[in-house]
Amino acid sequence: MMRTQVVVPGLVVLLLAASPVMMAQPTAVPVQEDPIERQMLDIAHDLRCAVCQNQPVSESNADLAKDMRKAIREQLEAGKSRAEIVDYFVARYGDYVLMKPPAERAGLLLWIAPPLVLLVLALSGWLFLRRRTGAPVAAAPKLSAADKARVRAARQQQDS
Amino acid sequence: MSFSGFGFHLVELGHFAAYLAMAAALVQGLAPLAAHALKRPELARIGISAAAAVFALTTVGGLVLMHAFVTDNFSVQYVASNSNSQLPMFYKVAALWGGHEGSLYLWAWVLTLYTGMVAWFGRRLYPDRLPTILAVQGLLVVGFFGLILFLSNPFLRLLPMPADGRDLNPLLQDPGMVFHPPMLYLGYVGFSVPFAFAMTALVTRWKSEFWIAHIRRWALIAWGFLTTGIILGGWWAYYELGWGGYWAWDPVENASFMPWLVGTALVHSITVQERRRMLHTWNLFLVITTFSLSLLGTFLVRSGVLSSVHAFAVDPGRGAYILAFMVVVLTLSFGIFLARGGFQEAEENMSSLVSRESLFVWNNVIFTVAAACVLLGTLYPLALDALTGGQAKITVGAPYFNAVMVPIFLALLLLMAVGPLVPWRQANLERLRSRLLIPLVVGAVAGAAMLAFAWPVHWTAPVAAALIGFVLGTLGTDYARAVRQRRAQHADESLGRAALRTVTRNRRHYGGMIVHLGIAIMAIGLTGSGLFRADKAVAMVPGEVVEVGGERLRFDGVRTIEGPNYIAVRGHFTLLDSHVVVMPERRNYPVQQMPTTESGIHSTPLRDVYVVMSEPVPAEGQMKWGVHVYVNPLVQLIWIGGLVALLGLAVSLSVRRRERVATGAVAAVGAK
Repeated sequence: MMRTQVVVPGLVVLLLAASPVMMAQPTAVPVQEDPIERQMLDIAHDLRCAVCQNQPVSESNADLAKDMRKAIREQLEAGKSRAEIVDYFVARYGDYVLMKPPAERAGLLLWIAPPLVLLVLALSGWLFLRRRTGAPVAAAPKLSAADKARVRAARQQQDS
Repeated sequence: MSFSGFGFHLVELGHFAAYLAMAAALVQGLAPLAAHALKRPELARIGISAAAAVFALTTVGGLVLMHAFVTDNFSVQYVASNSNSQLPMFYKVAALWGGHEGSLYLWAWVLTLYTGMVAWFGRRLYPDRLPTILAVQGLLVVGFFGLILFLSNPFLRLLPMPADGRDLNPLLQDPGMVFHPPMLYLGYVGFSVPFAFAMTALVTRWKSEFWIAHIRRWALIAWGFLTTGIILGGWWAYYELGWGGYWAWDPVENASFMPWLVGTALVHSITVQERRRMLHTWNLFLVITTFSLSLLGTFLVRSGVLSSVHAFAVDPGRGAYILAFMVVVLTLSFGIFLARGGFQEAEENMSSLVSRESLFVWNNVIFTVAAACVLLGTLYPLALDALTGGQAKITVGAPYFNAVMVPIFLALLLLMAVGPLVPWRQANLERLRSRLLIPLVVGAVAGAAMLAFAWPVHWTAPVAAALIGFVLGTLGTDYARAVRQRRAQHADESLGRAALRTVTRNRRHYGGMIVHLGIAIMAIGLTGSGLFRADKAVAMVPGEVVEVGGERLRFDGVRTIEGPNYIAVRGHFTLLDSHVVVMPERRNYPVQQMPTTESGIHSTPLRDVYVVMSEPVPAEGQMKWGVHVYVNPLVQLIWIGGLVALLGLAVSLSVRRRERVATGAVAAVGAK
């Protein structure tokens, strides 16, 4: 890593000199991501754009999603916490706005059912295996000399 | 295109052919019943000729529609809505399945193709049951043609003829989308063949020895197409939708994933039936369920119920028809299954709880749980909305499915690691323990390495790494042992030859193991891109540099370019470590007035750099471009793993007849 960090700025300067577009920026200081933008995207990722088909607010180009992103930004800038912002949207749109359904009210079933289905099916599988497990395998019957020869012939034919 | 032109009237020929196809399919569906009722068995044979006629007529209709697209015949309403004179030729052909009506037509066309193939092979392989099998498929064809011709007719005219068409949805103008629907339909509809065999087996009391090999082969073919279709869909989403991911647990995706999950259970448990003569009834259940889920997938996507439960009510005809069709098929098939399923009795018992067949039962349990969870998560919000009249609405998005499904996938990896090492009938525990040693060590090392590297990411990271290592260890040691054994028996063979022959002499087993290898490679890609993605959303002016996940990108500016049917702004970004230029675009298709984003991607096996541009924002007197850069580690392994899996499937299906006979002879003597 150290090496690239030393070499890359040198290359950048070289390329900047070569490229006519680039004259204005002799030093390439990385653009920093706005920390509020990051927080906004993280929150928007867990909220559904209410007019879209199953898309989170962070990825939608719908006008409503843009408005919601703006609203999240404004609330973050006003010093609100993530939980407060999420609650604000839940109060306005209901549980519908959460990409991950809550484990209460109508969403409860979604969280109870998978372990229950697993339990029921695993139990059925176990009972099936128990019921259908018979006596241990009987010893394989001894092959007659003629049968052995036939098996050998079949195997050789298969390998040839 | 003139009103008197040949092409103009050709459409009516295609339309007529489609009606004839439906009539012929009805004959195909009723022939065995007529033969039975009239006590004239020779009548049943009509169904075979009818199947050929149905395929030929449907093909005529399909080619006529393609001709209408290629010649810009906008007097056909469907062509006018989904094509445009400026659309590139490649997409004009593919526009046939770009909309609702054409998708259904393709579905029916694929179904008649499969029916034709079943008829072709059946004359020699299963002549006595062929009319019944074809009858089941014929009735399905009738059901679909009813929907197409009476409620979603692609041959309808639009007069006066518009000057130009409304163009294909720009999102669909992508090679991934061209091949995704046909592959998916070849998969969905492919499961209609095992379904027809299963129905025939139940109705005619066909003994399982006779149908098992056929069902297995057709199920594997359908599975291969469905897998290809799903992967192509992910590929398309990744390259076209511009959010940096490939799978969003969208209901449309889930619709194809449910039959895949049950179909995968089926291709495993059918081996148990073949090798150990058990699970017959369960396999019939899986066949019926897989096809029912294929129908459900079609219903979900085609009825409009997903965009809104209320869209279903806006166009009640189509939705109600598909729903009624599905209810009839499900009631009849599960009804017949309940009435007759007991006849297909298993003939042998399990020998031990620690055996391959027992692990296959657990495989089936887990896959069924997986399918049930996806089904619940997909249907529950729809049902809730419909039952409460829109009072209670809920979203079941990707975070839910990830939370529920990832543990299930991990359990499947564990089975995949252990299963191939456990022999049929009864495992020798001591030998099993020694065989498990190396794979377990590999897994432990992989898990520990992940912990050392990336401690705080997520608990699934080290678990997934350990399990994938375990799987790869199993595959590697199992294969190495087989090669060693072969060399001991054939001392004259070179190592390379022995390695190759080990696979080619046991294609079914090693084909399956290659599929497992492909899935393990995919699992690496899914883990890497799912848990270790880095991204940044920034606003940039030309000349600025952004650093994401160890990659430095310089924004060099934008240019306007003109495509065949769109105008685009193309950004230039230089990766400073490799001097590669990536060029994301923002396109505007004037006919549809729809902006789309084309992501700029640079791929290496280790990571993808994925750049998306959003709108420019004026800031401090200059234009800043919104740029979202993702670094997705190992994402290419998903596609590579998919290809490996399909290669394995091809190896497995390439079993020659002689080998099949030989394996059967050895098995009959008594497996050791």
